Amino acid sequence: MNAPAPPSAVVAADHLSKWYGQVIGLNDVTLTVPPGITGLLGPNGAGKSTFMKLITGQLKPSKGEVRVLGEPIWRNPALYFRIGFCPEQDAFYERMTGLEWVTALVGLNGVGETQAATMAHRALETVDLLEAKDKKIGAYSKGMRQRVKLAQALAHDPDLMILDEPLAGMDPIGRRKTIRLIKEWGRAGRSIIVSSHILHEIESMTSNILLINQGRILAEGNVHQIRDLIDEHPHTVYIKADETRALAREFLSYDDVLSLRFEDQAVVVETGKPDVFYARLTALAASGDHGSIHEVTSPDDNLQAVFKYLVKQ
Amino acid sequence: MTGTQRPTVFRSALRVFDLSLGQMLWSRRSVFLGLLVGGPVLLAFAIRAAVALEPRALPRVNGAAVSGGALFGMIIWLLYIRFIVPVLGVFYGTALIADEVDDKTITYLFTRPIPRSAVLLGKYLAYLVCTVLLVLPSVMLVYFFVVPLTGSIGDSFPSLLEDLAMLAVGLAAYGAVFALVGARLKRPLVIGLVYAFGWEPAVLLFPGYLKRLTVGYYLQALVPHAMPNDSAVSILMQAFREVPSLLASLTALAVITAVTLWQAGEAVERREYVLEQ
Repeated sequence: MNAPAPPSAVVAADHLSKWYGQVIGLNDVTLTVPPGITGLLGPNGAGKSTFMKLITGQLKPSKGEVRVLGEPIWRNPALYFRIGFCPEQDAFYERMTGLEWVTALVGLNGVGETQAATMAHRALETVDLLEAKDKKIGAYSKGMRQRVKLAQALAHDPDLMILDEPLAGMDPIGRRKTIRLIKEWGRAGRSIIVSSHILHEIESMTSNILLINQGRILAEGNVHQIRDLIDEHPHTVYIKADETRALAREFLSYDDVLSLRFEDQAVVVETGKPDVFYARLTALAASGDHGSIHEVTSPDDNLQAVFKYLVKQ
Repeated sequence: MTGTQRPTVFRSALRVFDLSLGQMLWSRRSVFLGLLVGGPVLLAFAIRAAVALEPRALPRVNGAAVSGGALFGMIIWLLYIRFIVPVLGVFYGTALIADEVDDKTITYLFTRPIPRSAVLLGKYLAYLVCTVLLVLPSVMLVYFFVVPLTGSIGDSFPSLLEDLAMLAVGLAAYGAVFALVGARLKRPLVIGLVYAFGWEPAVLLFPGYLKRLTVGYYLQALVPHAMPNDSAVSILMQAFREVPSLLASLTALAVITAVTLWQAGEAVERREYVLEQ
């Protein structure tokens, strides 16, 4: 048995395991997550979502215990007053408008309709969706759908926000804004646990990282080693845009771009310096010189190579 | 952080009801089942049109022309009680939570400070309103097409109100039973259909106590019309038919509804829902 978690820990897991039949989702994890922003980094299938579901009380631990804000979370709905959760899945009530949806969900926190609408309005303003608040969610772009999910997570002003891949599929400007928002929330005293399979994204929000792979926590804390490792492995970025050929011409002039190819309406770039590349890409999207950039994604095989190296060590 | 006063189960259920009703009303399931409840209306319209063109076209049983009121009673028995109400109960009741799980929207409801049973109750209330809105207009249209064939609308209007109330009670009871099936069992749709169209009709045919374990046994006591002699099965059913009193039936249906809903709520509280990635 480990020493009890410090009282300030937002999440404390003690020998936490989760099995799905014969499949292990999470394997004997013991950790504490301190207040502030913490990044949960791992490739797809590493156990991130299982961990997220356990700390949001959607799943019951098969073994061990998990406490969130000092209390067990499974079958403890009162704790959700203090937690905001932005799930990974792109699932909505498509026929509702953004405002109706967020208002309805905040209403489940026991506030009156007028107050719920005010809170929803404020949350949509925070994520820059006020103009589209009366549009049906079914008509939202991928980035807008991500932002409305964030709005429902923050509308009731929670102490702890748990964000599962919040940047997935966003355009570069949306990403930059969301990263800035998350950092602002952290500075305002909220605790945030954010998952991603892209180190660059996590690193831009926090240096406090939990590395997860194959259901185990490989490392936690300020993981400088990962930063060095990532530079040794090429990073692939998939960019969906209006003018992929013009973008490709621009990318060819960057010395950090190692290769590029076209896929449907996208250009896929391999870069040796993801930080530099993403910064340039954001500036490029903001300038609009090469048409609109709709979506930026990064496959998780970037991380796989780094994790393989770590596991060998 | 805003508001830490946990809302009551009923208040939470009303919020879930608000959220769910629109989704349920405009779902593909409602469109499909709306077509199903349109069937009796089309049939009634066809009979009305046929009789208007040729008065001798009035349906006959054993050579005798059937009155409008009796025809309406037959439609209520054969199409609504034995088929449409159980079908609506099975298709909506078993899917109350399953739909949210399949759509992966359950996460938003289960990560709010409300009991999970309130989610089930809210969705059940939405089911009731949705199915009542589907069935009752259909019954009224059938009534207005069929009853005036030989009778007066005014005279039999009280029996229409009894029919409407009885169908609403049936929808409530079947919905609760199938909500429990949906919350507890795997393959709830198959099990629900076997229950509604295998188990219930089978045990109602024979004497004994087993029939008391069905919704249909209590529901048939509420029907203001005589059971039609439309088939050998019906004749057999009438031979062994024992009808509980109105009060006993209403009490039993209320108990069935309350107990199965409570059990379904308990099952949802304890069950883990693993969404497919």
